[in-house]
Amino acid sequence: MAKSQSPVLVEPVYSSVIALLIIVMACVELCDAVTVVDVYRLVQYDLAGVPFGSRLAALNHHAGSSLFSSSAAGGAVTDLSRTVLILPVRELNLTFIREYIGQKKPLGGLLLLLPQVFNPQNVDSGGGSDHDSATKVIKEVLVELEKLLLHANIPYPVYFGFEDDHVNAVLADIKKNDATGQPATATTGGYKLVVAAPEPKKIASPAIANIQGWLPGLKADGDSNQLPTIAVVASYDTFGAAPALSVGSDSNGSGVVALLEIARLFSVLYSSAKTRGRYNLLFVLTSGGPYNYNGTHKWLRSLDQRLRETIDYAICLNSIGSSNNDLWIHVSKPPDNVYIKQIFEGFSSVSEELGLKVGLKHKKINISNPRVAWEHEQFSRLRVTAATLSELAVAPDFLESTGGLSDSRYFVDEASISRSVKLVAESLARHIYGQEGKSIDIFADNSSLSLNPSYIRSWLQFLSTTPRVAPFLSKNDPLIMALKKELADHTVEVSLQQEVLDGMFTFYDSISSRLHIYQVASVTFDLLLLLVLGSYLITLFCFLIITTRGLDDLISLFRRPTSRKVKTA
Amino acid sequence: MTIFHFFNCAILTFGPHAVYYSATPLSEYDTIGTSIRAAVVYLITALVKLVCLATFLNVSESDSFDPYQELLKALIGFIDVAGLYFALTQLAHRNISQNHKFQAVGLGWAFADSVLHRLAPLWVGARGLEFTWDYILQGLEANANLVLSISLAALGSLMWLRKNKPKTLIPIIYACAGIVATMPSITSYLRQGLGWHFPKVVGFELFTSLVMAFISWQLFAACQRPSN
Repeated sequence: MAKSQSPVLVEPVYSSVIALLIIVMACVELCDAVTVVDVYRLVQYDLAGVPFGSRLAALNHHAGSSLFSSSAAGGAVTDLSRTVLILPVRELNLTFIREYIGQKKPLGGLLLLLPQVFNPQNVDSGGGSDHDSATKVIKEVLVELEKLLLHANIPYPVYFGFEDDHVNAVLADIKKNDATGQPATATTGGYKLVVAAPEPKKIASPAIANIQGWLPGLKADGDSNQLPTIAVVASYDTFGAAPALSVGSDSNGSGVVALLEIARLFSVLYSSAKTRGRYNLLFVLTSGGPYNYNGTHKWLRSLDQRLRETIDYAICLNSIGSSNNDLWIHVSKPPDNVYIKQIFEGFSSVSEELGLKVGLKHKKINISNPRVAWEHEQFSRLRVTAATLSELAVAPDFLESTGGLSDSRYFVDEASISRSVKLVAESLARHIYGQEGKSIDIFADNSSLSLNPSYIRSWLQFLSTTPRVAPFLSKNDPLIMALKKELADHTVEVSLQQEVLDGMFTFYDSISSRLHIYQVASVTFDLLLLLVLGSYLITLFCFLIITTRGLDDLISLFRRPTSRKVKTA
Repeated sequence: MTIFHFFNCAILTFGPHAVYYSATPLSEYDTIGTSIRAAVVYLITALVKLVCLATFLNVSESDSFDPYQELLKALIGFIDVAGLYFALTQLAHRNISQNHKFQAVGLGWAFADSVLHRLAPLWVGARGLEFTWDYILQGLEANANLVLSISLAALGSLMWLRKNKPKTLIPIIYACAGIVATMPSITSYLRQGLGWHFPKVVGFELFTSLVMAFISWQLFAACQRPSN
């Protein structure tokens, strides 16, 4: 890094560009000489007053590369408390780190390096079926790691970064140092990692925003009754170990994309009076999904009672982007319920045509348990028939499968989203137009109602690069505005509902910062340098006296230098 | 620790100037005034050069070596020689021998150059946490520059102040002065045209400065002989 900068530095040598310009150059040089990487902090939150996550943000310690130096030191007090460990997730020893965090051993800081596949900014890592097994293993490790970190109280800063050439070079250097048994401290040089971050502050009243849009059905003349409504619901926000990296391509980016595409398809159908169905369609993008679907809860509560009663059923979309062919319909009412049966039969008949397998899973609601594992459970609690379509077979635990670190674009398949969209749209359309059981293809390919793969792709791309942890989204966040605008393009009466996340959670800011990696020299080096410089100057002094005064006065040649020498020494 | 490093680099950059002044007879004859005036002349020259550079030179986006631009830069670099001429001949120096005058002027010249071009980067850069060899090399470069400045001043004083010099040496003196005056362009060419790295360039500068200093010393001594 220094080498490339040398031209800038040498520039002032003889060229007569004046000091001001030089200062500017020096500043540029200063910024570039060090390696600066973007790092993302582990989330810091309190749950009902209990602290979790990384409790510090500022970092200023030497770098180390392994936990093992601590075990090598035996029972003695380790000085890892002033060391930042750089651990690539690729070679992470989970049991070791679990033990380390579990025993609350001191550490200066932790920098976890993720493979580039998991970088949301790495746009071209498009999803596909060619997942190599190594990446899958890393994904599993990440899931475990995230679970571990989310539920631990870690008193030092924990950051996530991405592997790149610079960082890998630094890491290789540090490893070499560690291998020679010279861990980096202030006296031996090495690398220093600095994150200049202020003390994390609490986020005052984290907001959640729900967006809804209507596609009104066609009322028959003289019909005074309200039309029944079908709701399509997807929660759009995420939660993960690193809020700035929680893009949640699958959970629940895929659901949002599917909802938008379904809204687009039906908006085409509903734009003409001839094809407008006798059902109202309601599209809702809810927030607060990871927090027991708090946003859905708030939205349902705020909905007009009469309106709520017109909802025939609600379909919640959750994690439908993975490339397997099994989907599950999760319900809370017993499967022999007539509505449930009707929904399930509608879906399974379409799924057979699409070559998908749809299963039905029933999970009773425990009203006394605050945990809401599926979005439809919020509907069911208010006695609205609802089901969740998901690829997950079992209900995820609290703060799991909420679009964290491992949920990257790489593992999401556009084709599966398209299939799911087709499944939902087709079965909805058959229900709306009373075509159940008939083998018709309303959204056939190459028709005017066909799915638009590039629309799906672009929205998936957008969501896969946009972190969406609700407390860190501002009120008029571009993401929320974009979703609202998109829904407004397809539906009418689009409204944005701002709510406050229920008080159990407290979040802290400073979710991403810049890490400066400095190569530092040791004090001994500087001392040595001073010694060398001193002897150089003394030698120069003697040499000059001998040469110049020798010309002037031969006698002083031998007498003066000795007396001067004593003086300077 | 970083202040320590800054201190070290500053010693390397500015120490030789002080040592030169105190070790040579310059201090005995109190020539500091001459040095200061030379430094002021240097500042004015630098300003003039800056204006010229800004007027005549295109800002190149790339770092590549453009011969025409470099030639222009070298020509503008000769303003330095004019400044030095002014400092040597036009400034009033009271009772100071020619021998000391050029040393004082060269010293002031080099010191002003160091302060102007190296102090700010040193202050900003060497105090940072990041360790690079650059500032040490820069200090060495300042040393080379000191030697070159004094050589150029010596040659200048030979050219302009000494009347009775051996005829055979005149072309050599002019050639050497030309080489020394074009050193900035030569190093710039090495760096950008041949892509030399900083340590190599500094090594070259140190070597050539010593060679040029030796040659000019010999020339100076040779010129002094017939006059004695």
